[in-house]
Amino acid sequence: MSDPAQNVEPAELAPAAKAELDRAFEQFYRSHLRDVYSYAYYRVGNHHDAEDLTEQAFLQAYRHFDRARRESDGRPLRPWVIRIAHNLASNYYRDRSRRPQTPLENADPIAARHDTEAIAAGREELRQVMAHLDHLPDDRREALIMRFALGMDNREIARALGRSDGATKVLIHRAIKQLQEEMEDERPE
Amino acid sequence: MRDPSETLSGSTWDVEQLLGDALRPIEPPERLSARFEDTMAAITQAAAEELSDWAEELSESELSALRDPRNWVRPVVAVGAGGAATGALVLLELRRRSRQKSRSGLRSLAGGLRARL
Repeated sequence: MSDPAQNVEPAELAPAAKAELDRAFEQFYRSHLRDVYSYAYYRVGNHHDAEDLTEQAFLQAYRHFDRARRESDGRPLRPWVIRIAHNLASNYYRDRSRRPQTPLENADPIAARHDTEAIAAGREELRQVMAHLDHLPDDRREALIMRFALGMDNREIARALGRSDGATKVLIHRAIKQLQEEMEDERPE
Repeated sequence: MRDPSETLSGSTWDVEQLLGDALRPIEPPERLSARFEDTMAAITQAAAEELSDWAEELSESELSALRDPRNWVRPVVAVGAGGAATGALVLLELRRRSRQKSRSGLRSLAGGLRARL
């Protein structure tokens, strides 16, 4: 049975402890806003819903922040907040019965290149990889978003997805392999 | 960096490179932080108003009833929704009434509430 003291919400803390918690949360918010927003955006595919999802994720994180800090044992809290966003995004799809829109407007590759043909070729490649990514099984797609958009390592992704490190490593390997094979199948002769 | 035209012309797809290019971090709009702060403030304010209204509505008999811990559910729930500041509002209101009525019983009630919250 859990200790009731472990379930204290921010509002129930003494003022000094609440102030310290709020300062820590503000730092946490600033440190992870871009990651949560990026994850939300690549899950839902538009800025409007990504903003809603990000806001909800941080509101939920705030509610449980004190407990999460105590239970993290010094480990980074990024997987925890991404897991919150992950669960919210899953509910979002369940409620709306829809798939994400492919967020291609941000797939603007190789901005430093000025050669028109190279840019066009790069854009086509990115369009293809995003299209294939969109059709991956959910867990594979989410793992790749965490790896490449957020730069999370296997251990962080494992914590965010609630899987073992080994299972996560296999998941990512298979996701990349599937993308590789499907793109090879479509490659021009 | 690999030239994308080389990839299209025949070499194997470098999927990891492509994913790195395609899935770049997205900068959140500046308005998002302001919106989040507004939401947090609104939640705190709503809870504060709820508690303030409730405290104003209290009759003497209800204040007496608050000595019974079984009647502490409402303030505890309201404070849970808001913040420590809202909890302080309850105590301030109780203390204000305590000063007005000079009833020592309320002081111990506020102390009990503080310990409870």
